[in-house]
Amino acid sequence: MPSLDRNLLHRFGILIVILLIGLGLSLTTDTFLSLSNLTNVARQVSINGILAIGVTFVLLTAGVDLSLGAVVALSGVACATFAHPGEHNVTLPIFIGLATGAACGLTNGILVTKGGVAPFIVTLGMMTVARGLALIASGGRPVADMSPSLTNLAGDIFGIPIPLLCFAGVALLAWIFLRDFRLGRYIYAVGGNENAARAAGISVTKVKLFAYTTCGILTGLAGVVLAARTTTGQPNAGIAYELDAIAAVVIGGTSLAGGVGTVTGTILGVLLIGEINNGLDLLSVSSYYQAVIKGVIIVGAVWLDRRQSRS
Amino acid sequence: MRLTPRPVAGFLFIACSLAVVLALFTGCKKSSTRKEGEILIGFSSRDLSAEYTAKLSEAVVDYAKTKPGVRLVMVDAQSDAQKQLSQIENFISQKADVIILNPCELEASTPAVDRAKAAGIPIVLVNQVTKSAGDAYIGSNDVDAGHIAMEAIAKQLSGKGGVLMIHGIMGTSAQLQREAGAREVFAKYPGLKLVDHQTASWDRAKAMSLTENWIQAHRGKFQAIFAHNDEMAMGALLALERAGIKKEVYVIGIDAIAQALTAVKEGRLDATVFQDAVGQGQGAVDAALRLARKQPGAKENYIPFRLVTRDNVGEFLPKK
Repeated sequence: MPSLDRNLLHRFGILIVILLIGLGLSLTTDTFLSLSNLTNVARQVSINGILAIGVTFVLLTAGVDLSLGAVVALSGVACATFAHPGEHNVTLPIFIGLATGAACGLTNGILVTKGGVAPFIVTLGMMTVARGLALIASGGRPVADMSPSLTNLAGDIFGIPIPLLCFAGVALLAWIFLRDFRLGRYIYAVGGNENAARAAGISVTKVKLFAYTTCGILTGLAGVVLAARTTTGQPNAGIAYELDAIAAVVIGGTSLAGGVGTVTGTILGVLLIGEINNGLDLLSVSSYYQAVIKGVIIVGAVWLDRRQSRS
Repeated sequence: MRLTPRPVAGFLFIACSLAVVLALFTGCKKSSTRKEGEILIGFSSRDLSAEYTAKLSEAVVDYAKTKPGVRLVMVDAQSDAQKQLSQIENFISQKADVIILNPCELEASTPAVDRAKAAGIPIVLVNQVTKSAGDAYIGSNDVDAGHIAMEAIAKQLSGKGGVLMIHGIMGTSAQLQREAGAREVFAKYPGLKLVDHQTASWDRAKAMSLTENWIQAHRGKFQAIFAHNDEMAMGALLALERAGIKKEVYVIGIDAIAQALTAVKEGRLDATVFQDAVGQGQGAVDAALRLARKQPGAKENYIPFRLVTRDNVGEFLPKK
């Protein structure tokens, strides 16, 4: 099966880049390969990982979601507002955070499908609306005084960071769903050729609504995890998070034109970006150079990967 | 085939009409209520989503309300120097008597100052300078803040030890000056070593990740962290607490935001440096009124910084 081989090469391309950089880092620093640092990297990639899995759904339908960072902030603020100690059970703020994300995602989906507005424009609008709502809801100030039972969500269970467990759980569910569920296959069909999918009797509207809402829920989850991690709901948090998330998905081999891409690819993309961020700090690279190096590695990795999968 | 589905077109039409009517109304209200002899102050705030700036802007608005015959219009530049420039241009066309500018950036906000001066409208800079000098500047010398913070570290470590520094957004005047102040102290104490320094862009989550990475890379080699603002100091603090090594490291920030003050009171954060937002805001309004009435006064007015530790935090905590 040629398509399978192509897929494997895709994965190996990025995997090789990840391993090479990892090898370089373990030779140049004595800390990179330590267990505590790898746990550290895992903790740090979790938020971008959850976002990247969510936006994979949208990118697969040939859409895009630029509102991720702003919705992270709004969900975080919403969650923190209901998380003051002794006021509510811990499940309520979590639910509120997820529901906020879901509402934003659903709104994006409705405007894209029923409204017929381009996803780029819809989610660009949502980006500023959600950021504005986060500022209104919080009065422009970080929402502090969160209950420890919620902030503990950023802690560890048996030495494993809980955010990582969230990321892993989400990734596993998404992987099974996109591979084995009918609706999951429909997402690929809609992204690959919308007219053909419609002719085959698939409700394109429902599939897209599902993809945007799923992305919204996961963005809400990322917002809750970030609020737990920083122990506040920050209205100005998450700026440019959508860029890292979309970069991770594209590095992982998902096509911006839709219809092609895998969850495993996205996970590898997330790991590569996390590895670069961590490695540059360990190597004490100056702030100015960090930004340049990161951009070059991201574009270089995708180029290497595409070249390899063509040959 | 319809190009646009009818309900959407209808909705858009109604939305646009509403927007136009609303704009006309607010526009009329502004121009018609301008009374004879009233002083109009245009105030462009850097970013109302930043806690310190919000506090300063609130002080400007509240204080202007206490002055009879003064009307103040505040706009938010949301950290965008381009947007700020158009706001200043709008103030010029509204014929404001004086402008208070809380600049976004050292370089990029300079044209806004030049534009006001060319139009002959006096301009007061508050909290941050630009390349062109305004007619008055009210602020605090950020070099002092960096100096005070690093001196506190030097004192705590008895002039010997490793220090990590977390920068604000590179190139902002606060970042440049706070770093310069800190470097003066490093020059004074040869035993004080700057182990590493990076930017976390004033952001708590970024400072937290950076500190986690530093704990991996430099554990045991640093005894203090100086963050250019309190948000980042709180991020560093959380990372150290999660790693269980806060006791080994002295952490200090700048700004004295509410959460940092609480953390100092609880004995979690070691210290912060108080920047007097209310003093700056009121000073800016006073300077603006003086310029509008063509009264003489000092061109620069520095509101001093103060070190806040557990001993004196009570003076700074908000009164309930």
